[in-house]
Amino acid sequence: MRIFDPHIHMTSRTTDDYEAMYAAGVRALVEPAFWLGQPRTNVGSFTDYFDGLIGWERHRAGLFGIRHHCTIALNPKEANDPRCVPVLDVLPRYLAKDGVVAVGEIGFDSMTPEEDYAFARQLELAVEFGLPAMVHTPHRDKAAGTARTLDMVRESGLGTERVVVDHLNETTVRAVADSGAWMGFSIYPDTKMDEQRMVAILREYGTERMLVNSAADWGRSDPLKTLKTGLAMLEAGFTESDVDTVLWRNPVEFFGQSGRLMLDEPVEAAETFEGNSVLRGTPR
Amino acid sequence: MTYALGYGTNGFANHRIEDAIAVIADLGYTGIALTLDHDHLDPFAADIAARTWKLGAELDRRGLKVVVETGARYLLDPNRKHHPTLVSEDQERRIDFLVRAARIATDLGADCVSFWSGIGPAQTWPRLRDGVAELLDRTDNVLFGLEPEPGMLVETLDDALRLREELGRPDRLRITLDVGHCVAVEPLDAAECVRRAGDLLVNVQLDDMLPGVHEHLEFGDGALDLPATLAALDEIGYTGLAAVELPRHSHAAPDVARRAFIALTAARTPHPWLDDAERAVRETPAAIRTLFPAVSRNLRDATRDDEARVRLIAALADSVTNSATGSATDLGTEVRALYDYGDSAERRAVLRGLDRVGWRIQEVGAAIVKDALRTNDTTLVAAALGGFADTHLDQHSWRHGVLKCLFTGVPLAEVAGLDRRTDDELIRMVRAFADERDAAGREVPADAVDLLRSQV
Repeated sequence: MRIFDPHIHMTSRTTDDYEAMYAAGVRALVEPAFWLGQPRTNVGSFTDYFDGLIGWERHRAGLFGIRHHCTIALNPKEANDPRCVPVLDVLPRYLAKDGVVAVGEIGFDSMTPEEDYAFARQLELAVEFGLPAMVHTPHRDKAAGTARTLDMVRESGLGTERVVVDHLNETTVRAVADSGAWMGFSIYPDTKMDEQRMVAILREYGTERMLVNSAADWGRSDPLKTLKTGLAMLEAGFTESDVDTVLWRNPVEFFGQSGRLMLDEPVEAAETFEGNSVLRGTPR
Repeated sequence: MTYALGYGTNGFANHRIEDAIAVIADLGYTGIALTLDHDHLDPFAADIAARTWKLGAELDRRGLKVVVETGARYLLDPNRKHHPTLVSEDQERRIDFLVRAARIATDLGADCVSFWSGIGPAQTWPRLRDGVAELLDRTDNVLFGLEPEPGMLVETLDDALRLREELGRPDRLRITLDVGHCVAVEPLDAAECVRRAGDLLVNVQLDDMLPGVHEHLEFGDGALDLPATLAALDEIGYTGLAAVELPRHSHAAPDVARRAFIALTAARTPHPWLDDAERAVRETPAAIRTLFPAVSRNLRDATRDDEARVRLIAALADSVTNSATGSATDLGTEVRALYDYGDSAERRAVLRGLDRVGWRIQEVGAAIVKDALRTNDTTLVAAALGGFADTHLDQHSWRHGVLKCLFTGVPLAEVAGLDRRTDDELIRMVRAFADERDAAGREVPADAVDLLRSQV
């Protein structure tokens, strides 16, 4: 099974995770820019984080045979903090960089006017930079938030085929399926979605425009949920090809719209990055 | 038809002339600028006619273009460099030499004989003028290229054109242009000088240079806009020889010539995306913020990333300083931001760009260089110690940069101006470093050993 995890926050994960992911078949991933659990208080915190996403984290992944891409954005939660909003002015510099394959995560958290502004502005940036957009749906009032999200996308002029609406579940999938946007599902140990519910959705809606991710981050989460969903699909009678569509071909097609996937290039596995190394001596 | 790329044999002073020609031709050059010298076709040798014939046959066989250069240092006087010249009291020896050079040029089928005026006070101008007139009288058919040379009586293109005016615009008296000299002393940039010389251009010398400093540098180490300069040669329909002029690089001639050829080839290869990007930056300086990071995937030629980004920085410098509201402060802010928001490849390119535009933003440039020297990234450390640091980095920081190279394994060959700036304090530091390594039973880097030996 070859796996492309379209949404995982490796900055918060360990090298053990990278090893286990490679062993499970993960060969590529996208790390969206999001909040860090601890709120940021200034623009510099964002740019240091972005630098890590395009530099250090790509290097770490490469050491474990995994191609690392990222998305860049001001996330909806922090779009409400006036100290963070000026990062919008710096985003263009980062959206121009190699390996940045979408604007994201954008969208709504509490559906405030501030979130409206940041969301609309970043959809504009997606159009300007020829990038797809990764849209996060809110934890609270999810169905209303999703409907609102789709309205914003329609107004933006960014084609729905260039948008993935993420963290969907049974109550929100229909509207997104009908809109023509891509559907993202985060498979979590307890919340959001689990493997069995995912399989049921795939049965009902098919595999087209479906993206399955682990969304693993600093919270309780499992970077192998992609593999586990693939296994659950096989168990439920899906073919190997169906699994490959959901876990590899779909994310390649979606993020391929950026023209910046780096799947053909050899995995960069220099021992050091800017002179610094994650290796602690030679493994015994 | 376009011009031919050549290499000056004065940059191969440690090679036999036949070997130099072979190396130059094998690298892909299609011409040589032949400096007549004691070891390279000595015009005073008894068998000069036979030697010339033999060399001409070799050039024919290889299909190489040739011009004759007359700037040898101690050919006429073993004690006084370049002496006598056309402004000297005993200019007769210089004229005699130039007449011999003309004969050799005819026998070789050379495009021209190139010459300069000499160092002298303004009142020697009439003597110079009469000397050139005599030279033209005593020769026929051969074209002469008068080369403006920093510090000489004919220092700028305007000086050369004035002398030609005063002589009644003789057809055989034309212009040799060293594009590096244009950077160093001309009020116009090299491309503009090329256009100004126009049809009078009979010989071109190629090298990089920094404003105000007459030191021949490899391409990229100075402030020359090489692509624009070469484009100007095509624009005026120049079909003669354009030869690399690096007379102080003979010690590493084959490597230097190879690097120069790569730079020249790259500069001549047009790239529509890069041309558009440059234009965009000239029109809207802020466009560089998103074009600079996007170079690599749009160019799809990793060997040209640095050069392309340096071109964008040069375009930025032009547009910021040429616009009514732009200032050096704006340039500094923009360049600093490119560095701060850059990944390591972008930062390296900013450091290389400082060699081109850093003289305008010396404080910002020095701060960037110091930041790069604090990193552990050897590509940044190496790029930090280029031409800009050589001229503008304070001695203390520079010494520590050199020491960091030894620690991190950056070859000292990357350090611009190493010989000139090495001082007792650096030697003390390197010696202490070597002693420490010795005491620990660890190897002392060969570059450290060499540097210490060079001071004995």
